[in-house]
Amino acid sequence: MRPFDWRWLVVSSLLAGALAADAETRTQYGGTAHVAMRAAPTSLDPADGTQPDSFARRSLTMLMFDTLVTTDENEHVQAALATSWQASTGNQRWQFRLRHGVKFHDGTPLTAEVAAASLRAANPSWNVLVDADSVVIERDGADPELLAELALPRNAIAKRNSDSKPSGTGPFHIVDWQPAKRLTLAAEEACWRGRPFLDGVEVEMGRSFRDQMMALDLGKADWVEVAPEQSRRISAEGRLLASSLPIELMALVFTRDVKSADDRMLRESLALSVERGSIRSVLLQGAGQPAASILPNWLSGYAFVFPTDADLPRARHAREQVRTIPTWSVGYDGSDPVARLLAERIALNARDAGLSLQPTTANAADLRLVRISLASPDPWIALANAAALTGMPPVKSTGGSVEDLYAAEQAALATQRIIPLFHLPVSYAVATTLKNWTLRRDGSWSLADAWIGSGKP
Amino acid sequence: MRGAVYNLGISNVIPKSVTRVSRSAPCLRFALQLSFVMLGLAIAARAVDWNAPEQQLARKIVAVTGPGAVAFSVENRSSLGRRDNEVIQNGLRGALEGLGIRFVKADQGAATVAISLSENPASYVWVAQIRQGAGEVAVVMVSAPRGEGSAAMHDSVPLSLRKTPLWAQDDPILDVVVLEENTVPARIAVLDPEKVSLYRMQGGKWQQEQTAGIVHARPWPRDMRGRLMPARDHLLDVYLPGLICHSTTGTPLTLNCRESDDPWPLVSGTLNGGTLSVFPSAGLGNGASTVIPQLSAFFASTRNFFTGALTPGVGRFTTVSKFYSAALLPRDKYTLWLFAATDGQVHMVDGVTDQPARLGWGSDLASVKTACGAGWQVLATSAGEPGDSVRAYEFPDRDPVPVSAAIEFSGAITAFWTEARGDTAIVVVRDRQTGDYEAFRLALACSQ
Repeated sequence: MRPFDWRWLVVSSLLAGALAADAETRTQYGGTAHVAMRAAPTSLDPADGTQPDSFARRSLTMLMFDTLVTTDENEHVQAALATSWQASTGNQRWQFRLRHGVKFHDGTPLTAEVAAASLRAANPSWNVLVDADSVVIERDGADPELLAELALPRNAIAKRNSDSKPSGTGPFHIVDWQPAKRLTLAAEEACWRGRPFLDGVEVEMGRSFRDQMMALDLGKADWVEVAPEQSRRISAEGRLLASSLPIELMALVFTRDVKSADDRMLRESLALSVERGSIRSVLLQGAGQPAASILPNWLSGYAFVFPTDADLPRARHAREQVRTIPTWSVGYDGSDPVARLLAERIALNARDAGLSLQPTTANAADLRLVRISLASPDPWIALANAAALTGMPPVKSTGGSVEDLYAAEQAALATQRIIPLFHLPVSYAVATTLKNWTLRRDGSWSLADAWIGSGKP
Repeated sequence: MRGAVYNLGISNVIPKSVTRVSRSAPCLRFALQLSFVMLGLAIAARAVDWNAPEQQLARKIVAVTGPGAVAFSVENRSSLGRRDNEVIQNGLRGALEGLGIRFVKADQGAATVAISLSENPASYVWVAQIRQGAGEVAVVMVSAPRGEGSAAMHDSVPLSLRKTPLWAQDDPILDVVVLEENTVPARIAVLDPEKVSLYRMQGGKWQQEQTAGIVHARPWPRDMRGRLMPARDHLLDVYLPGLICHSTTGTPLTLNCRESDDPWPLVSGTLNGGTLSVFPSAGLGNGASTVIPQLSAFFASTRNFFTGALTPGVGRFTTVSKFYSAALLPRDKYTLWLFAATDGQVHMVDGVTDQPARLGWGSDLASVKTACGAGWQVLATSAGEPGDSVRAYEFPDRDPVPVSAAIEFSGAITAFWTEARGDTAIVVVRDRQTGDYEAFRLALACSQ
């Protein structure tokens, strides 16, 4: 059996060589890491449902907060704020014993009451109780995915104060917070996992890809985001590039359910008309993978059974079953540099099939071109979350076989609310002086154990 | 789908085999010769039995097609190697034949069965796409657990530096000390952030004797370090950031720990008239001991380095730059100390001068006494991909001369200490793929 490199981290080989030449082998304390990002969250509360989920938001959350449990690089559940846990009554009732001696950044101790309140805020439908130094979660039915769910950043334990700065137990505490603009974090000396190596992290928000890359080139940023279509060029230019496995789904999502047989035929026609392969080659510069499934193949193992090739004869045949052809508006994010081109190209493909699509940046549209950050490396959670985001019927984990997962995904796709297009990796360009950063499998990054090597003050 | 386990590639059979055994027993193979013997058994034991998923998938396929003639193909989309691919393909054919399937060419079958060997993070996923006539494609699938996998033997070229696996575990290993040995280690102590564990070799396996917990109030630094030192009047001393523990002499083993910023000894050995008689078994031909003045250094209790304060000092130097590790090289009339400073330089301190140099070395140094060459060699780490490496150097003057090939490890070196006996070093590596910590004894075979 040949070794299978499951590492989701891909570092450009050119710079891997440069790293190999670096002599440092032990971590160094001190320095501030500068991060730039496109996202511009207005709240740092992990449970704030008004904030869109993004890889950046997940990353920031885990710099400041901890979850009850975490998953390691092998998806094994590990203790975090909870030191032990026990499930009973057929995985319906879970009890988590909290770690002693942990304090929030405001100096108050972590208690079961605070942890329970935090989980209730994040999950209003859960029944969360306190039992001495334990938190008890009761679900309506068996929930085999609960541990993976609790490891999600949105379930991080936060103590909500009167101001806009919730207090956490993570490696960094908030020094300055200018919503949607700037976040300054400092190392938490008394962090229960040990003080981080960096003295601080400064985050610039709402920066375009171009501005971020310029900041990296000028030495003003150590960690910046890279658009998927730019990743090959960035790597070829000799920069250090970190890319995840494909964890972002780009898809067309209809804003309403199928309302008639004609509607169903037209949606099928549109799905068959999109030339994913050539769009990937030209507009995405070879990034990502064409997709006709919600879950990428590395996550499910069966995505290849959903054909991604365009089939224009079938698309036309489907369209010819319908007498009246409406003009559908396709909404896209005007700030996404590649979205307009994609929407226009999809409209062209649709026209070849006899359909009429009108790209628009307006919010009100018949369907939207969206990017969905898959929530978790757990396929059931990722599928359920994508279904919830796109208005599909809820997907309930059975904790069962891969065939059950396949059936659940097939059922979700059969609603025709979504036309998957591509699975994209998340890419970052990194200053070579920044060491020991982590790119998690969910596309988020961590600087909790990062340090700045010599050569940089 | 829970309990996902990635089955990562295995870069080195020997440490991995240790890891496997240590988890299940826990036990270890302690000697290289024994490792080679066990290697064959380990590989044989790893042979994955694909029979169950083969039978399962065959039944699902036949439930769709019924017995009869089918066109059959297999495509490998997974990390399975060619040999496993062939084994599975043959197994599937056999299972299908057993259920009444006959294999024919694509244009002769009532159905075509296209099997894809795929995978996800939790398991292998074998998918059969079945087309019968012009009908819809039926999809059936099974998951197959990941086996341990075999791996090619590395390090086939003899090296001057030899590593012998001692111990492996999930938790960080800070240090390992060999307490008893004949020709091979017979009893070891393993230090991790929360405990000291004693193991004895019995029947070819390491059996845990005792474990003593380490009580500490303050959180440990992230890059945790610690040192085990054999003691004369009791079993062990344990040096941890801001904490020092003394073990009891007899059984049961307990640790008396106190918060302390007392310095950590930089040389091992037993006290001998105000000096340390270091490394008495280090292979000196005349049987004499090398006498080296005692030297200790203060460790920063919330960091991963020594503060630079020395006691009693090296000549006129009681303070040097902050450093991660130190190595010594005895000379005729003095001892040259090498400090791997936090600024990336190596400071060579002879008591009169402090000469910094950028040698391109890593942060961890150790020195060993051998019976050849200059008699003392410095072992220096170096960062690399996919893992760190160690190389031996001599210092004819102040410039290092490499005297061995580099020996590579499967991940980052997290601890590197000269053993009390002085002729070997303990190196701890975090395997890049499994995340396990693996401790090795590193010896320099000078005849090479």
